Amino acid sequence: MKPSPGALALKYLFILLACAVVLYPLLWMVTMAFKPYPEWTTVAGLTWLPQDPTWQNFEFIFRGHAEGLVVSLDRTITGPLIASLVTSICGTALAVVSGTLASYAVVRFGLAQSLPLSVLQLRLFPPLAVMIPVMVMWAFIGAVDTWWGLSLIYGIVTLPFAFWLMKTFFEEVPVEIEDAARVSGCSYWRVFYRITLPIVKPGLATCALFVFILNWSDYLLALMLTQKEWVTLPVYMATLTSAMGGQMYGMKAALGVIAAIPPVVFGLMIQKHLVRGLTFGALKQ
Amino acid sequence: MTDQAHTGATRTIRPQGYWVGVARDGQKMGFWFILPTFLLLLFIVIFPFFMQLYLSVTWWTPLEGIPWYSAWEVFSWFDNYLTLATDPRLWGALWRTALIMIVAVPAQFFLGMALAYLFIDQFPGRKLFYSILLTPMMIVPAVVGLMFFLLFQGTGPVNAHLGLPADFSWLTDVNRAMISVIIADIWQWTPLMFLILLAGMLGVPSDQLLAARLLGGSNWQNFVKIILPRMKTVIIIALVLRTVECFKIFDLIYIMTKGGPGVQTETISVFLYKQTFGDLEWSYVAAIGLTILIVLSVIAAKGLAYMARKQG
Amino acid sequence: MSSIQIRNVTKRFGEFTAVRDLSIDIEEGEFVALLGPSGCGKTTTMNMIAGLEDPTEGQILFDGQDLSGLRIQDRNIGFVFQNYAIFTHLSVYRNLSYGLEVKKVPKPEIERRVQAMAERMSISHRLDQPASSLSVNEMQKLAIGRSAIVEPRIFLLDEPLSNLDAGFRAYMRAELKVLQHEFGQTMIYVTHDQIEAMSLADKIAIIDRGRLMQYGAPLDIYNDPQNRFVANFVGSPRMNLVDGELREERGTLKLMLHGGAEIPLSGKVRVDFTCDGSVHGGSFGVRPQDIYFGEKRGGDDITMTGKVEVLERVGPKRLAYLQVQDTLFVAFDDLDRLRVGDEVPFCLPSDKSLAFDIDTGRRLGGA
Repeated sequence: MKPSPGALALKYLFILLACAVVLYPLLWMVTMAFKPYPEWTTVAGLTWLPQDPTWQNFEFIFRGHAEGLVVSLDRTITGPLIASLVTSICGTALAVVSGTLASYAVVRFGLAQSLPLSVLQLRLFPPLAVMIPVMVMWAFIGAVDTWWGLSLIYGIVTLPFAFWLMKTFFEEVPVEIEDAARVSGCSYWRVFYRITLPIVKPGLATCALFVFILNWSDYLLALMLTQKEWVTLPVYMATLTSAMGGQMYGMKAALGVIAAIPPVVFGLMIQKHLVRGLTFGALKQ
Repeated sequence: MTDQAHTGATRTIRPQGYWVGVARDGQKMGFWFILPTFLLLLFIVIFPFFMQLYLSVTWWTPLEGIPWYSAWEVFSWFDNYLTLATDPRLWGALWRTALIMIVAVPAQFFLGMALAYLFIDQFPGRKLFYSILLTPMMIVPAVVGLMFFLLFQGTGPVNAHLGLPADFSWLTDVNRAMISVIIADIWQWTPLMFLILLAGMLGVPSDQLLAARLLGGSNWQNFVKIILPRMKTVIIIALVLRTVECFKIFDLIYIMTKGGPGVQTETISVFLYKQTFGDLEWSYVAAIGLTILIVLSVIAAKGLAYMARKQG
Repeated sequence: MSSIQIRNVTKRFGEFTAVRDLSIDIEEGEFVALLGPSGCGKTTTMNMIAGLEDPTEGQILFDGQDLSGLRIQDRNIGFVFQNYAIFTHLSVYRNLSYGLEVKKVPKPEIERRVQAMAERMSISHRLDQPASSLSVNEMQKLAIGRSAIVEPRIFLLDEPLSNLDAGFRAYMRAELKVLQHEFGQTMIYVTHDQIEAMSLADKIAIIDRGRLMQYGAPLDIYNDPQNRFVANFVGSPRMNLVDGELREERGTLKLMLHGGAEIPLSGKVRVDFTCDGSVHGGSFGVRPQDIYFGEKRGGDDITMTGKVEVLERVGPKRLAYLQVQDTLFVAFDDLDRLRVGDEVPFCLPSDKSLAFDIDTGRRLGGA
């Protein structure tokens, strides 16, 4: 039974409208990244596609200066890009490793039954409400503006996601498989390492990508716990104006595009599991 | 699909701790497995909690050169707590945070629900549209802030499209700044609602929907009487998730307006940030943070107890 | 209550043709079973009748009227799903009342009709309970009651008994028959279980690979299968069907079986095989209960000799598996004297044997 053509047309109309609303801001930023200075504003008329497409904005943020521009940057994107990558990856590794181990122990050994809820509570509070002691501690142990300091906090704040996500993946592994291995004489560690872990490998990959997206997307923690050396992309992007005075829309847009790409790509890759991740495993698709 | 399959929440795949009675070496390994998480929790919860409690009853600030452990030298009893109870800026920030929640979360909910309903059945292009509609929630919030910052410039495309003059300001206007911020939040997080609600909707067994239609129920009747009641858990999860996240909102606002003009878009997080880095009132921030912590914990505990009672 | 004409209906899903040029006439108040192996297109056919799918070609008429423009909810068709599709979040009462509720039937009338239907389906003691607490058997009753209460123009049942345990299935089979009489409703019933179809239906439509193989009353189909597929599909134990080449030797027509044995044809079955001169290969069919041991009872009956391979008890009787060279015949051991390993003569009654063309599967001759 097909819906009537009228209903179908209306449906497409709504969906296309929604897509247009979604794409409108995106498109403006993406095209902005390829526009030269005169097209940054609508003063000389609104243009969607760059009339005079240029790599100038990208060149500027990568080299600190660009042909035809008087201003220059004392700090290029290289540092923040590396900082973002290093801290996101290390934070992800920390969260995924500890979350995986702990969730396995909770699922299989029935240890620490209150752990899941206390881990979840970490996500309840606004980070700013608990940041004072963290900043004092980080300063005390010399972790401010270091790669490991930021990685450590990333690992901690994304641990709940890793823990709950892996918990649902472990719960899906039939216990009979592990029992069979146990019966044939494998130690618990061997069962975990040789049997269970390979089974949840796709889940593990999903979990890692998901946690990476979260870490990569952070702005606030990096804003508070870094100063110069380990400033991450979003912070760098936001400070680009204040450093130079005047609005550098094109460069900011170029930075925004670069910062936005990895999460969108990874996000689409793990689309199937997004619901599970975002709801801490409460819902599966 | 079976009835239970659509919510993992109400479903136990097998009893927790299947190997509870296991030999000691298993227990021992479990202990080592939990240790890293436990240490991290200890590191980030127990110790900071006491430090926060300690600092919140002093006048300590990083400015004066007193190390934090000597903060007792500026012990202030409950002055910080008395101040926060009557701080108009704090209450204003709380009210604005609530305002964003009250407007944005329902808007996201209804838009998400409507979109999800359109995506129940298959149609050509579904996968592509689905991916497009999900994009906003995957974009770094700070970048979303930048995107809307660019859009709402006086010389940006919004004014150009609406035929408004370049001096018609959004982000620096007393009322429109808040509207802009809320629009940006709705833009970014409606997809999340859409995603979760669609998952819930697809969890409604399709033969039951067909049965309802064959019995003569109109689409609307079936939606209200069959789909909605079955989505109760999913709806609660989606709303709680968004409300909690909305309470934390920072990146978007700080990049778009820095909480301005004045304090017009200053939410609780922006306020705390400014207190921390602008005014360096760390002990005051600690007091506010601790209060928020306690209030939220009580609410969470009540909520969980309520849910447990409903289910049990 | 409606009559239904399915006219040259074809349904394609992309490359795959689920139903080919299907035509069935169902009269008012008839109980028709759509019978066939799984994947044969019977469920697709039913879905098209219900309006859940549109035919690619052809028409389905209700009392001569094409409903294809109507939305599903306006067609007034009762449908019992294989897994019942009970609204598990509602009470039993609300399940029954749903179809009336959405049609804005006045409250007192709903109350009256729900009570009556619950009484009829003997689930009135569970009305206030959540439907999810019902047993499978009760769910089955509820599903039927829920569809029946809105007095649909026709009633479709999709393998409704397949989830039930054996005892209740037999009971429900009888119950369905009674209900159909009471409702006086046109019913269409999809099943892959030929016993169910034989015992319930007024008429059976046998479908294979999207094609209608035969449509008729159960006994006609049983006694007079139109093709090899129907002969093979209907009846339990299955009909003996042996394939071979027709060969004329010294005045006798023989069916040279692929297994090496040969059947000398005589009497009616010989006529059947020869009525179409173009046939060279044939299938010889005979039901196990028609094979007999001992003296030839009719002059044209065919005598064979086989070795008893296996004896299998089926209820009060025994089934004997008789090996003739490499071909196996199954027969009821009516004498109850056979032993495994015996070489015994047995007879194939000529007038009860069926002849089929091996290439087309078509029945040769016939009654």
